[in-house]
Amino acid sequence: MSFLFGGKPQLSSAEKIDAALTEVEMVSDMFNRLSQSCLKKCIPADYREGDLNKGESVCLDRCVAKFFEVNVKVSEKMQGEAAMRQGGAAGAGGMFGM
Amino acid sequence: MDSLNPAEQRELSSRMEKKQMKEFMTMYSKLVQRCFDDCVNDFTTKSLISREEGCVMRCVDKYLKGSERLGSRFQEQNAAMQAGQLPGR
Repeated sequence: MSFLFGGKPQLSSAEKIDAALTEVEMVSDMFNRLSQSCLKKCIPADYREGDLNKGESVCLDRCVAKFFEVNVKVSEKMQGEAAMRQGGAAGAGGMFGM
Repeated sequence: MDSLNPAEQRELSSRMEKKQMKEFMTMYSKLVQRCFDDCVNDFTTKSLISREEGCVMRCVDKYLKGSERLGSRFQEQNAAMQAGQLPGR
């Protein structure tokens, strides 16, 4: 982005650290939510053995993959919607411009 | 991302450590709650009966292994996603 405005944006130390922390937080928050859902969905409440059995392991693997897929799908849909709204607004603006 | 100077790096890692400590405590209390809810349902005795204790031990084992597995899958997916996204940026 910085190339758009010529120089590098001058961020203060505090801002840079906050930005880095926010990024880490977003990832760890996503992981926490994923863990909560996948452990709940894949591990039944009867603890017959302490190890993960085959079914549970495969379920966890697939759960992670699907969680990411849902993330991407939702983000795409929201972006599409935002673009459509902007497109609509621009169209309306064009009409007014006439 | 802008690179951080050593002082900023130190500040960042100290704040991350605090966060990690907090997350660890959260994870611990969630684990206690889950294993308690799933394993302990009989209140005719005051202390854990052997079946409950065994259940709790297996629950903790399974939960930790599950989290570990989720962690590595998550890292793989996250890396793949970031690699896939870069050309688009």
